[in-house]
Amino acid sequence: MTAISDTARATRRLSLRNINFALVIFVVLYAAIVVLQPNYLDAALFMNFLRRAAPLIILASGQLYVILSGGFDLSMGAVVTLVVLAASMLIGGDPEMTWVVIASLYAMGLAVGLANGFIVSFLKVPSIIATLGTMLLVNGLALAWSGGAPRGDLPDNFRNLGRLVLKDVPLVGSLPIAVLILVVVTLLAWWGLHATAYGKRLLAVGDNPRAAELAGVPVKPTRISAFVISALSAVTAGILIGGFSGVSVNAGRGLELQAIAACVIGGALLLGGRGTVVGALFGALSLFALFTLLNLLGLPQALRDSLQGVILIAAVGASVLRHRRST
Amino acid sequence: MTAVLEMRGIGKAFGTVKALDAVDFDCRAGEVHVICGENGAGKSTLMKVLGGSYRPDTGEVLLDGEPVRFQHPAEARAAGISIVHQELSLLPFRTVAENIFTGMEPTRWGLLDRRQMDERARSLLDRLGSSISTSALVADLSIAEQQLVEIAKAMLVNAKVLVMDEPTAALDDHDAHSLLKLVGRMKTEGVAIIYISHRMPEVMAIADRVTVLKDGRHIWTRDRRDVTINAIVTAMVGRELQDFYPARGATEPGSPVLEISGGQSRYLRDINFSARAGEIVGVAGLEDSGKGALARALFGDSPLAAGEVRISGQPVSLHSPRQAAAAGIGYLPGDRKREGIAPRQSVRDNALLTLQAMAPALSSPNGGARSRQKVDQSLRHMDVRAGDFGQEISTLSGGNQQKAIIARWLMRNPRVFVFVFVEPTRGIDVAAKAAIYQTMRALANEGRAIVMISSDLPEIVGVSDRIVVMHQGRIAGELPAGAEEGAVMQLALGVAAAATGREMAS
Amino acid sequence: MSIDILPAGRARRGFRDVPVPVVVIALAAIIYVTAAVITGQTNQISFAGLTGLLQRTVALGLVGLGQTFAILVGSIDLSVAALISTVAVLASYLMQGDPGMIVPAIAACLALALCVGAINGGLVAYWGINPLIATLSTGLILQGVLSAGFTYLGGRVAPEYQALAYQGLFGVPLPVLLLAVLALVAWFVLAKTRFGAHLYAVGGNPDGAKLAGLRVERFVLAAHIIASLGACVAGLYLAARLQSGTPWIGRDGIYDLESIAIVVIGGTALSGGKGGVIGTIAGVLLFASLDASFNMFGVDAFLKQVLRGAIVIAAVAVYAVRNKGHVA
Repeated sequence: MTAISDTARATRRLSLRNINFALVIFVVLYAAIVVLQPNYLDAALFMNFLRRAAPLIILASGQLYVILSGGFDLSMGAVVTLVVLAASMLIGGDPEMTWVVIASLYAMGLAVGLANGFIVSFLKVPSIIATLGTMLLVNGLALAWSGGAPRGDLPDNFRNLGRLVLKDVPLVGSLPIAVLILVVVTLLAWWGLHATAYGKRLLAVGDNPRAAELAGVPVKPTRISAFVISALSAVTAGILIGGFSGVSVNAGRGLELQAIAACVIGGALLLGGRGTVVGALFGALSLFALFTLLNLLGLPQALRDSLQGVILIAAVGASVLRHRRST
Repeated sequence: MTAVLEMRGIGKAFGTVKALDAVDFDCRAGEVHVICGENGAGKSTLMKVLGGSYRPDTGEVLLDGEPVRFQHPAEARAAGISIVHQELSLLPFRTVAENIFTGMEPTRWGLLDRRQMDERARSLLDRLGSSISTSALVADLSIAEQQLVEIAKAMLVNAKVLVMDEPTAALDDHDAHSLLKLVGRMKTEGVAIIYISHRMPEVMAIADRVTVLKDGRHIWTRDRRDVTINAIVTAMVGRELQDFYPARGATEPGSPVLEISGGQSRYLRDINFSARAGEIVGVAGLEDSGKGALARALFGDSPLAAGEVRISGQPVSLHSPRQAAAAGIGYLPGDRKREGIAPRQSVRDNALLTLQAMAPALSSPNGGARSRQKVDQSLRHMDVRAGDFGQEISTLSGGNQQKAIIARWLMRNPRVFVFVFVEPTRGIDVAAKAAIYQTMRALANEGRAIVMISSDLPEIVGVSDRIVVMHQGRIAGELPAGAEEGAVMQLALGVAAAATGREMAS
Repeated sequence: MSIDILPAGRARRGFRDVPVPVVVIALAAIIYVTAAVITGQTNQISFAGLTGLLQRTVALGLVGLGQTFAILVGSIDLSVAALISTVAVLASYLMQGDPGMIVPAIAACLALALCVGAINGGLVAYWGINPLIATLSTGLILQGVLSAGFTYLGGRVAPEYQALAYQGLFGVPLPVLLLAVLALVAWFVLAKTRFGAHLYAVGGNPDGAKLAGLRVERFVLAAHIIASLGACVAGLYLAARLQSGTPWIGRDGIYDLESIAIVVIGGTALSGGKGGVIGTIAGVLLFASLDASFNMFGVDAFLKQVLRGAIVIAAVAVYAVRNKGHVA
């Protein structure tokens, strides 16, 4: 009895150690934001912060699945662009169409994810190349379809998913729909990874695919489903982004790298085998807090990239040092 | 005779763990000095200190009486210390000659002198009695040939001291035998040879002196004439090992659990094979005899192209490891690191992996807390020694990892009817070996069929109830329990079944 | 005997033994000639047509040469796109149209590339940071500083310098000649020198290389410096060709990912230790002939991107699909 609770405590300590870096960064950055703008402590502003961070967090949770399986998904940003452009053209401002179109957007995401998964699993193309290919392909398709200049409008009921804020909600006061979606998606991601046999298989596949295969794990379906999950999360993020930023041909640019960065800051190991949804969540929050902080400081938007680079090196470098000391 | 190499009071600690504690060791020109010890006894650490990979905390290394301090393997190599590594250190996509000269490439006018590389590589390989082409890619060579390239690489520098760390671990008996002859030849050339091995008959055959290490300490060094296998094993384990091989089953084996008839594949021909309940069937053969292919066919990894497989009388299709697992075959791979463990996952998750693999994808990963207790129980039953079953499995010793993988299949109890063990004790120390043999016997006694594929002849003879010998993709013959090693070897070499061998050659 | 029994572990002879570069070059030639014949532009199949073809992808080729070194040692360089932009902007900013500043500007750019390469190599080899993360980060840092500091077009290159991009020697454009010479040098280094042999050793089996006495970290560092220098030369070329650098030319050209793609298409293993520059040049030729064919067919720019994506995947899949192991 005591032995079991001991080991349980030890495991918990372990997972805390894995996420604390991203958590610490987030708390520090958010504290800095609060110093500059004390009203960020208000529930409403925090909710607004979460609303704007939601797409990145959702992307990071999806990307995490692929990273844990040992690969990369570089096509996420392109899927976001496709979703935004396709939504505007398919809906054409007609609110009646919204739900049908959303369903077809998910079908597109499913197709991209399946394509990525099949190319990696059956054609044996390394995912960094395979998803680079689908990135070019999907981006090209989206632009060719829209002719390079987006036409059409998004109706309010579509945009509300990204921008509507419910007022006078008990407990939290205001509640953006996007945050509601975020909570659902994050819980789903957490459940899939940490509370199912599938999650364990995914970790084993990323850690040692050969051993996983010989233990009976269906390696290919596991890997393919990771790419599908990633693509579906990109569709979800794309719908939210379309909601509060409107239609743009650059809607998804660079998001795939931000999502990978968020996972890595959150302690996920590139090339698979280790990582948590909570870590990815705080990794994404840290990144977004950094962007917000830069805005408040009035620093040029472009420096975002630089600081993102510094944080990435710091996060990974620190974990390398910590690992080196413990061995 | 004076010592070429002397190591005095070597100490090395990793954190709080003392890997070496004031170890003395020496080696003379023209002698083979064998080091024995369990895994973790400090053999490899000692050799890494010698090779310049580690710097010792205390003590000194003397070469020809002069103290030396190596900061990098490059310096040790330059000083005349050559190491044949246990893990192959070759470049798969480079030629044999390029591999032999890695780091020591000769140049002419500042350019690589490929002709000289080829010529010198050729003469080295000739000296080793090998006809491998110097322009062959290493990836195209067999494991045994790769091992020879590794040795040629070590012999390139005119080594004063040659260290061989389990050089025969990956070889079958035939190739191991030629390697031992080679070691004898190099000895007469005046090289000081340090030889590390777990294979006791081999130790007795080639050693001039034997040193035993245990828990990082030097136990004793003796002349070969003054030691017996028993004395070495006792010193290594620290107690007397009784009944190294477990007693054979008391009852007659039952009905056949596994049957293959007319099995054929690219590597196999006319395989008719069966294993009965309660029986351990040993499968012996040379490196390329098809015994590995048989194991992979049984586990659906490289499926049979023709023929029928039955389990408990029911025909089954084995086209993927997953199908094999579902059909009730448990597989213990020989290369644990590459094929067995998921290194960064916990011991517990490794033991649960097959259950998780076969369960519905969205079911709870360990079926609630009850199964967690069950897996801990199973791990304890297998005597897996870990501080915490939540720790990463890569931190455990090879023997404990092997036991955890056995536990993985036991978790599926009772739906596993056949266990396929491939090289079950490769790289595992003596005490853990005995435990694994006992487990195999216990599994058999519970009514399962055990197929043990092994290159270790004493193990084949000591453990099997029945021995199947393979040669060139066919079953060359079958021998009863307790057969002579020589008889197994004859079948494996195709000497006893000369007719079959002739037919194959045509 | 109907079934031949092969010893395990031996590779089958046949298609796999045709060197990858040969297949890729043949593919490039077939695509190009087919396009020219179908569209009736057979005059494209000429010396001038071919050099023109190459000129369009010189920059990619230069980056690819450097990238080959990084990938051969088992690393990768994602910072090349940002470095190209930085170099192009820096060169035009320093020159400001003054021919006297050509040499100092080039020297400054080379020095910058040296530093970036050394930082990349240091982070990867000595600090042990995953190369994807390390070089992605240095790329982000460079890009951020660059686009924050140079929102306006910062000057232009000297006209004499610009002319270099358009002049020729014996009918061959200078940039093509430059690519050919550098490719030859790179091939020579990899195939004929100890340094090259050691790079292969370090990439093929770092632990083995270390045990064989090689200072592994130094070679990884050197490979990263070479990768950065390749990007630097590409940036200098683009500055000459476009008169002035903009902070986005590297990113808009997707030079980071496309350079990796051509290296891999040419048969160099992402895991290191296998391949070489001949493959990379073959990859460049394939991309060049694709571009040219799209132009002959008058394919629209977006569709071009779609086809390019599909072809990157197909080209790698042709060889990878026979792989027995797992790929992630």
